Amino acid sequence: MFRGTRRRTWSVFFLMSIHMHCKSCGFSFRVDARFAGRRGRCPLPECRHEFQIPARSRKDPVSSGVGENRLRSSVVATDDSQLTADQMREDHAEILPVTESGLPKRLYVAASALFGSLILLILAAVFLPERATEADAAEPPQSQQAAIYQKTIRPFLKKYCYECHGPKEETEGIAFHKFDDLPTVLASRKVWEKTLRQIEVAAMPPDDHEAQPTAAERKQVVAWLDKALFDIDCELVDDPGRVTIRRLNRTEYNNTIRDLVGVDFEPAKDFPSDDVGYGFDNIGDVLSLPTLLMEKYLDAAEQIAESAIIENIDAKSAQRFADGKLDRGRWPLGGDGFVGLNSSGEVSAKVEFRLDGEYLLRAEAKADQAGSELAKMRFALDGKPVKVFEIKGHRKPDVYEFKLQVVKGDHKFAAAFTNDYYNPKAKNPRERDRNLSIRFLEVQGPLDVTPDNLPATHRRIVIRRPDKDKSVRDCSIEIFRKFATRAFRRPATADELARLADLVEAAVERGDTFEQGVQIGVQAVLVSPHFLFRIENDNRPHDPAAKHNVGDYELATRLSYFLWSSMPDDKLFELADKGKLHQSDVLKAQVQRMLKDSRSKAALVENFGRQWLNLRNLADIKPDIARFPTFSEELRADMLTETDRFFTEIIREDRSMSDFLDAKYTFVNERLATHYGIDGVKGNEFRRVSLDGTPRAGVLTQASILMLTSDPTKTKPVLRGKWIMENILGTPPPEPPANVPPLEETAKANPDASLREQMALHRSNPTCASCHVTMDAIGFGFENFDAIGSWREKDGKHPIDPAGKLPSGETFKSPAELIEILSRRDRQFARCVAEKLLTYAIGRGLEFYDKCAVDKIVSNAARNDYRFSAFVVEIVNSRPFLMRRGDQGENE
Amino acid sequence: MTVSTQLRRRTFLKGLGASMALPMLECMQPGLMLSAAAAAETATAAPVRMAFIFFPNGAIMPNWKPEGEGADYTLSHTLEPLKDFRGDFNVISGLAQDNGRAKGDGPGDHARCASTYLTGAHPVKTSGANIKVGISVDQMAAAEIGKKTRLPSLELGVDRGRNAGNCDSGYSCAYSSNVSWKTATTPMAKEINPRLAFERLFGVNQKDEKKRQRRELYRKSILDLVRADAQQLKNRLGATDRQKIDEYFTSVREIEQRIERSAAKRHEVPEFDIPEGMPRDQTEHIRLMYDLMVLAFQTDTTRVSTFMLANAGANRSYSMVGVKDGWHSLSHHRNDEKKMADITKIDRFLVEQFGYFLGKLKAIKEGEGTLLDNCMLMYGSGLSDANRHNHDDLPVLLAGKGGGTIQTGRHIKMDSETPLNNLFLSMLDRAGAKVDSIGDSKGRLAALDG
Repeated sequence: MFRGTRRRTWSVFFLMSIHMHCKSCGFSFRVDARFAGRRGRCPLPECRHEFQIPARSRKDPVSSGVGENRLRSSVVATDDSQLTADQMREDHAEILPVTESGLPKRLYVAASALFGSLILLILAAVFLPERATEADAAEPPQSQQAAIYQKTIRPFLKKYCYECHGPKEETEGIAFHKFDDLPTVLASRKVWEKTLRQIEVAAMPPDDHEAQPTAAERKQVVAWLDKALFDIDCELVDDPGRVTIRRLNRTEYNNTIRDLVGVDFEPAKDFPSDDVGYGFDNIGDVLSLPTLLMEKYLDAAEQIAESAIIENIDAKSAQRFADGKLDRGRWPLGGDGFVGLNSSGEVSAKVEFRLDGEYLLRAEAKADQAGSELAKMRFALDGKPVKVFEIKGHRKPDVYEFKLQVVKGDHKFAAAFTNDYYNPKAKNPRERDRNLSIRFLEVQGPLDVTPDNLPATHRRIVIRRPDKDKSVRDCSIEIFRKFATRAFRRPATADELARLADLVEAAVERGDTFEQGVQIGVQAVLVSPHFLFRIENDNRPHDPAAKHNVGDYELATRLSYFLWSSMPDDKLFELADKGKLHQSDVLKAQVQRMLKDSRSKAALVENFGRQWLNLRNLADIKPDIARFPTFSEELRADMLTETDRFFTEIIREDRSMSDFLDAKYTFVNERLATHYGIDGVKGNEFRRVSLDGTPRAGVLTQASILMLTSDPTKTKPVLRGKWIMENILGTPPPEPPANVPPLEETAKANPDASLREQMALHRSNPTCASCHVTMDAIGFGFENFDAIGSWREKDGKHPIDPAGKLPSGETFKSPAELIEILSRRDRQFARCVAEKLLTYAIGRGLEFYDKCAVDKIVSNAARNDYRFSAFVVEIVNSRPFLMRRGDQGENE
Repeated sequence: MTVSTQLRRRTFLKGLGASMALPMLECMQPGLMLSAAAAAETATAAPVRMAFIFFPNGAIMPNWKPEGEGADYTLSHTLEPLKDFRGDFNVISGLAQDNGRAKGDGPGDHARCASTYLTGAHPVKTSGANIKVGISVDQMAAAEIGKKTRLPSLELGVDRGRNAGNCDSGYSCAYSSNVSWKTATTPMAKEINPRLAFERLFGVNQKDEKKRQRRELYRKSILDLVRADAQQLKNRLGATDRQKIDEYFTSVREIEQRIERSAAKRHEVPEFDIPEGMPRDQTEHIRLMYDLMVLAFQTDTTRVSTFMLANAGANRSYSMVGVKDGWHSLSHHRNDEKKMADITKIDRFLVEQFGYFLGKLKAIKEGEGTLLDNCMLMYGSGLSDANRHNHDDLPVLLAGKGGGTIQTGRHIKMDSETPLNNLFLSMLDRAGAKVDSIGDSKGRLAALDG
């Protein structure tokens, strides 16, 4: 219906178009004159009002049948040289900026201002299916599909499937006889998607089923199912989906704190693990907030605020160490609080000097005088004497102090008694014993605080201090306008600022310093739901039909967490401020910029890559050292580094993702090179090496993946096959039946059989065969690689036979040939990558309606040789990434 | 294990065993063979504590199940390490957790094993959206008796949840990594770091009373402020998002209550020496977690705890008992004797650690009995034979006399398919947190009375 008519040049389209004005939302746009008389929908995603397109009349600009208006030189001005008809088709719904109120931001651009040429973007309306009166031969209407279901599909199911999935038996809970018509089929999508897969790969009906469908019958059913389930008209099924608000996960929390505050001590290190859904730990639905985590957020916020902000920059305040805080060694603490140093000795305290600067070191001391000189007290910092005092008077407490330049950090401050005197024979009892007593040590400072020696974290937050011109309240508002805005990833509201200022004021009134007050405010920001969750707003949160672009700040946030696992930077904030981020050229430029930033490599490799490839679980595999004496923890780390470096290279060089399948290069250090039998690599440094002449290529022969898909003592070929189907081919094998027929008979009958022979017997059971045929072939194809990924010719006494045949008919004799076959499936792989990356990007599982977005991502990536950046650009420009809708509650 | 951690441990244990009997608990009267209800209501009785310990992959049942029934039974090979405590626990056979079965959801028995273990509910099969199972028995107890202690409940574990890929056949990892569920949709994350668990129980910087007061004061105002934030936010969110903000509310409220309570009642912080990071040695780690539970119960910091000895379907090896293969891989033993022997070693090893826990509790005097007498400690799994993924005839032990309401020292054989949830109802009665039903429960487990 729509597709064939769209490929026309932009100018022709303009000339032959009808001006429309949507009655529902007031939006003006044009539609191709060809569609006169048909039904369409308003192109504004949040409106989608349905209307009849009137017949074209030359004199009278067409109205929507309701309100007419003059042609506005409307909407977004753009450079038409960049806008091909194709792009327009692809992007029309996405490029429209939306203000916070949900209405389009219209840039009323005078046509004349643009060099006299009228440059307008016209938004294509989206058309509804033809009604029965206007049949379109190319596209069978629903009723035709429904008829095929009754006429062809049901008989097929009855003949080939009912025996196990029908009235007699409902194996796996599937009962085809219960699906009366097309709507009931569509209501159980998941079941039918699975059915489609099974029939397509000839996994069902099982081989031992008496009646077997012909290839033609199979094809027919597959074609019908494919159409019914997936041939959704991407113009009609325009659901952008909805992501549940996402709590920052541990990595995102660490990164965000790093970028927001500038401290880098990984505060989330001890947070509980984030649960995983759809393979990733950034899925809104799965990220919960138990009390334990909330406690950790509070503690972390406190720790962050205290380490970022110097709480006391007034030189007046001092840290005092007395009683329990004083390290007095063996010296007794008297009732008066003085520690009595009865012979040479010292008291000390570990002091944190938070800044470089001048400090006053102080002690309160008194002495028992005796002998010819006064008692002496020596101050020392880290054991180095800095000052000696003579203590005046007998048993007369006094405070002694000394000013000293100190480098920031922890130092030991000690006060020692250095001139002990003891003469028990002296006639005058007062002349017998000289002692020193100390009540406290104190450190005050730095005395010379200047903006320069305050740490950067402090200066970044405390941008203003109260003085006679500016109150505590005003300063607080100024500080938090900046800080909370960055933390909440959108402008903080006046109300929010007022409440934060209340907190600071209350602290100051209570006697705390201004900076301490700011610390409290910072803590409040860091445990606020607006910081901890990535919140996206809907005007109509309960209306699933209310589709709309996400706001500009929300888009900036989606971008930054996708590519950096962190908050947006100043540039993104700036573009969001200006409302420009929804422009596809701006978006594309930002993606390119962000991919060049080092943050993207770390985030995409460690968060996306390691989760996609399941390598975060590599640490759980504990190879048996007795069997694999060359294994070490260092080697494990090297394996991970190899794959990380490999992916990093693909991102950095913007290489084709198909390198994952067949790249003849990798990254090794000496240890890993030895493991692989590659000569000439010395030292611990990783470097790129060629794999020419080795049996290895791509990621599938990297030790990380090979070990991940093994047991501690042996390989698990079936698991390897499954892993590849899931993560590379994007065709996860169907789940095994709940109670797998046991292999025990096989094992008992042939205790000496190799695993391969055992599996072959297992596959003689048709129920098992349907799934294992592919899994096993692929898995056994990699049997030349042992459980830690080194090459082998034999498994114990059994020689390895990697040869195999895929259900598609392709045969291979070695892992290299298998890789060759797999690498021809680059489009399938690309689809798998697109699905995984999109899931990761939007933080939810993919639904059937996301197929359109995935199709487009894959096609466009294919045109760009599957370069990594192409996937990212396409995802960012996709409907699910740019848009959202209201919630349909329980059924979501 | 390094020498230094060994030493540290010893110091800590000395403190635990000898010097730590608290006067507050000493003066309490033991509840002597009272009825369940009376035990819960008698104000002077020492409180009843409950713990639920979970091991993931079932057990080799022939080696687990004792011979004989009632008081005259013979301990099995796997349970033999508990011989010193024979009079302090019951072996309960025949219990089933029916909702762990597929019920048309296909495979995923390991995820279901953990998620139904204490909830008795059937989990919604999903990788992410609509995670839902049920409130777990420990949280039902915590909702009631948790108000009386600083921490309503304590969730412990040894392994982090898996953080990549799938956990089990289309079930989100949330189902595999948690046994405790605060609501049907919110799992209670577990603490796996002993030091942090200790700090959670007893706080840090406790010595500086002024600092503590200041902190609590500010925390209260911070929480006030963010609660208001959340309230405003909630009004403009969709239903699914609101659920998440509700979790936030619940957590905030709980922390506020805790601050209130701690102002009313200060605890002595026990003498404690504990490694800074995560213990590398598995035995060490498990024992430390048990030690913390002992400490928590002894100081009445909480009365409810769960402990996951490993996540559902865990495939770790137990080299300390010579088992080098992954547990889960072994569990599909297909009656291979070597594999079954290996699993038995793991089973026995874990039982031995449970024995260590019982020993600690028994060494602490409380009233005229011991702390163990006032406990109900359920030790078990949601699977029996993991080779076949059976969810009936589960391996279950119940240790402690529940404040004198449980007659111990027996092998209690229940009819097959008796709901495990019946046991939970009886435990909740004794803890003073009566509920009418859980999952498929069909009444109380009267056999506990004797």
